[in-house]
Amino acid sequence: MKAKHQVERTEVNGVPVIVETSHALPLVNLIVARTTGSVLDPTGKEGTMRILSRLSRRTAGGRPLQTIEETLDRLGGSIGTDASFSSTSLSGTVIARSLSPFVELVADAMGCPSLDRTEFDRLKRETRAEIIDGRDNDRALAHRALRRAMYPLHPYARTASGTLATLARIEHEDIVKCDSSVRRRGGLIVGMSGSIELSQARDVAARILDAIPEGIAPVDQSGDPTVPEGRKLVIVDKPERAQTQILIGLQGTKPVDPDHTALHVATTVFGGTFSSRLMQAIRVERGWSYGAYASLPIDRYRQMMTLWTFPSKDDAAACTKLELDLLDQLVSVGITQKELDFAKKSLVRSHAFSIDTAAKRMGMAVDTATLGLPMDFYAQYEERVASVTLDEANLALRTRFDPRHLVVSVVGTASDLRERLQDSIPNVMSVDVVPHDSEDL
Amino acid sequence: MPVPSANAKIGRLLEKLDPEVRPVHEATLGFGPSLTLERFRFSNGLTLICCEDHAAPVLSYHTWFRVGSRHEKVGKTGLAHLFEHLMFGETEHLGPGEYDHQLEEAGAETNASTWLDFTQYTVNAPANALPLVVCLEAERLQFLSLTDKQVSTEKDVVANERRYRVDDDIEGATSELLWSTAFQKHSYHWPTIGWMPDILGFCPEDCTQFYKTYYAPNNATVVVVGDFSLKDLLSRVGKAYGPLKSAKLPIEDVTPEPPQVEERRAEVVKPTPTEKLVLGYRGPAIGDFDHVALSVLSEAVCSGRPSRLVKRLVHELEIAADVRVFVGPFRDPGLLEITVTARDDHTAEELLRVVDEELERVKREPLTEDELERALARLELGLLASLETVDGKASTVGFYETVLGRPAAAFERLETMQRMTQSDLMRVARKFLVKEARTMIIVRRALEAENADTSTCPAVKALEGGAA
Repeated sequence: MKAKHQVERTEVNGVPVIVETSHALPLVNLIVARTTGSVLDPTGKEGTMRILSRLSRRTAGGRPLQTIEETLDRLGGSIGTDASFSSTSLSGTVIARSLSPFVELVADAMGCPSLDRTEFDRLKRETRAEIIDGRDNDRALAHRALRRAMYPLHPYARTASGTLATLARIEHEDIVKCDSSVRRRGGLIVGMSGSIELSQARDVAARILDAIPEGIAPVDQSGDPTVPEGRKLVIVDKPERAQTQILIGLQGTKPVDPDHTALHVATTVFGGTFSSRLMQAIRVERGWSYGAYASLPIDRYRQMMTLWTFPSKDDAAACTKLELDLLDQLVSVGITQKELDFAKKSLVRSHAFSIDTAAKRMGMAVDTATLGLPMDFYAQYEERVASVTLDEANLALRTRFDPRHLVVSVVGTASDLRERLQDSIPNVMSVDVVPHDSEDL
Repeated sequence: MPVPSANAKIGRLLEKLDPEVRPVHEATLGFGPSLTLERFRFSNGLTLICCEDHAAPVLSYHTWFRVGSRHEKVGKTGLAHLFEHLMFGETEHLGPGEYDHQLEEAGAETNASTWLDFTQYTVNAPANALPLVVCLEAERLQFLSLTDKQVSTEKDVVANERRYRVDDDIEGATSELLWSTAFQKHSYHWPTIGWMPDILGFCPEDCTQFYKTYYAPNNATVVVVGDFSLKDLLSRVGKAYGPLKSAKLPIEDVTPEPPQVEERRAEVVKPTPTEKLVLGYRGPAIGDFDHVALSVLSEAVCSGRPSRLVKRLVHELEIAADVRVFVGPFRDPGLLEITVTARDDHTAEELLRVVDEELERVKREPLTEDELERALARLELGLLASLETVDGKASTVGFYETVLGRPAAAFERLETMQRMTQSDLMRVARKFLVKEARTMIIVRRALEAENADTSTCPAVKALEGGAA
C-alpha cells in the first residue's frame, strides 16, 4: 500500500536536504545526520564519537548547558543525539511556533560548539555513571558480550558508548581533534518533517550549515567483518538470576547483498512474527519464554542475524538446544512455500506502518542516504519482498547462515548454568565466563 | 422513528443503517487542533468512538475493557493480566494461532496491556484490513475457548514474564514493593502481573468466570482511529457486535485506602551497581483537579535537567545518575513516585537529604513564572508528540474514555494546565508532598551487603514506621 504523501529532496550548499510537509500536528521534526559513526573511534578510545556528539549539543554556541536546557524547555523543544556504527546524528522536535530560536540552537550545536573542557569533564563523569547503571540491563549485557565474541577483529565488536576502560582513556584533546576532522559539510544529510514548507526548510538548512566548513569527513572503510570459526559460548555471570537472557548470533548480510531481501524474508519465517517457528515452538507450545525472536538488522557492512529468548534458568539449556536444532533444520531443510507466502504478505502489508507518518518517511529517507543505499531502497521494498522465490529464500539460508560458526551469549548465574548450557550446544569450541561488572564489557 | 443525533450529517448516515443494530450518536467532540471524535452507543451498551484521520492508509482498532487488577481478589491476583494473554488463543471458529496468523498475514500488528483500572487490546492494521479486524475482535469477545492446555501454557509464559519484568528487574521489583507497602487495604496493593503463587494456581474455571463476568459489550469501548469510512465502520461494528448480549456487571468491591499517617520505609538488597531511592507520596485520582496541578508541579520540579531536583542531584552535586518522576494516572488516588539512582558510592541517604530540602523549598517558596512556563511547554510537547501515530491517538482516547469517561480529556487537561498558577502549585505541594504520608524504598547493593536478603516482594529487609 503506497503512502499518500512523499518526501521532497533538495540540496542546500551541496548538502542533501529531505523534507516532508504535514500540518497534522503543530510540530516540526529535524535531523542532521553525519555519515561518520562510532566505527571510526580511535582504537582503545571507543566512545569518542558519541562524546563529541553529546558535547556539541551541550556547548552549542558556547552557551552553558543549563541555559541550553532552559531555552529548549521554554520553546517546547527537545534535542537528542545518537551515535551508531555508521552515523552520528542530532535530532529534535519542536512546537512549530518556536522553530526559529530552536534552529539557532541546532545551528550552534552543529556549527560552533565550544567543546568546553569543564563540560567535557562533567559529561565524561555522567557517561561513566550511565555505563555502570547499564549493568542493570541484562539484555544489553548479553548484547555487548555477543558482539565482542562475534567480531573480535572488527569495530562492530564495540559499542558506541565505549566501556569504562575506553572512556577513561578519552581526553579533551581527542574530542577537539575528532571534531576538527568530522565537522565538515561533506557527509551531512539534513531532514525535516511536519509543519514546515519546503522553502522554509531550505532556509533552516542554510542556517544550520552556515558555520560548518566545507570538506569531506572521514569515511568508514572497515569492510565486512569476519566471524571466528566454530561455536562459542559466553556466559555473563550475574548473581541471583531467576531468568536468563540468551542471544545467538550468526553472520548475516548487508542491505546491498543481492540475497539480502530473500534472507530477510526467511528470517521473518523463522522469528519475525508471532506465528513464526521460534515463537510457536518456544512460547506457544512450551511456555518457556515470553518472547522468541529472530532479526536481521542492516548496516553499511554485514551485520549478524540474532536470535533472542529469555527463559528461566531451569529452561535455559533446553531452550538453547531447541533453538540450535530449529536453526539447523531451517538451514538444512529450508522454509516451505506456504511459510514464504505468509511472510511476504505480512511484510509487504505491514510496511504501511513503516511509512505512516511524515516523520517516519523522512527518517527512512535520511537513513537511506546515511547508509549510502540506492535512493529507492525503501520505495522498492514491497516490490523486492514480493518477488522473492522459495528457491532464493532457501539458497540464501544455506549460503549465509552457517550454524557451525556462531556465538551463544547468555546472561545468568554461571554456577547454575554453565554445565547444562555447555552440554546443550553440540560441538561447542570454547566457553568464556565474563563477570557482569567487567571494565571491558 | 427519528434517529437520535444532533449532528444532521451523522443523523442521515445512521438512517441508512439496519435499525436492529443502529447505534445512538452521543456526541461530537473536538480532539486537538484538527481532529474530531464521534461517540456512539449500541443498544447492548457497547461504546464506539471513531476518529477519521486519512493522513495514511492505516488504522488503529482498540478495545478497552473497564476491568483491571483492581477488580481482583486476594489469592486470585494477576487474573486480568493472564486473561489478556488468553484472549489471543483459540475460539469456536478459529484454531490455535489462527487469530494472530490471519492478522499478521493482513499486515496487522497486535498488542495488549493490563493495568490497575483497565485491560486494552490493540490492532494496528492497513486500512483495507478493517473487515477482518472487526470480525476477529468480535469473534474473540463472544466465542473464546479456554482449554486446560491453553491456560497451563499461558501460566508458564506469564510466570516467565514476571521473572523478566519483576524478579530480575530492579525497577519492576522496587515498584512492586513500593505499591504493596503503600497500599494495605485498596486493591492497588497487588501488582497487575499478580503474585507468583496466584499465577501458577489459576484453573480454566477461574478464567471462564472472569470472561463471562467482565468481557461484555456494556463493559467495553471500541476506539477506531485512521483511514476508514464512518458509514462502513458503523455498519460492520453493528453487524459483528450487535448479537452480543449485555451482562449484569458486578458491583465493584474496592476498599478505599485509609489515610497514611506515618512514613513507611522498606529496604531491599539487589545485585545492582548503585543504590536507589524510591519515594511514593499520596497522590490524587486522575479525575481530580489537583491531579493536573500535581502533574505540572512534578514536571517543573523533577523532569528535565533545569528542574530543581535534577539540577542539584545530577548537575551540581553529581551524586545521582538519574531522576524520574511519575504521577499515577489512576481512577482512585495513587502515588506520586520519585525515583533517584545514586552515582558511584553515594548513598540513598545522601539523595534523600537533597530531595527533602528541595521538596520543602517548593512548599515554602513559589516556583518562578519561568519554571511554570517551561513545565507547561514540556507537557504540551509531550502530548503532541504522543499523537503522531493513529495508535498514539487511539491510546489517548481509549485511556481517558475508560478511566474518566471523557475521551478528549487529554486536551481538556492541557487547557487546565495552561490556566494553572504558581499558587495552585504551591497549594498542591503543601497538600501532597507530606513526609508522614509517604512510602520510601531503598535499594542496597548486594555485593556490599552482609547476609543479604535478596528475595523479592513482599520480602522486605527492614521496615520502619507502619509495616506493610
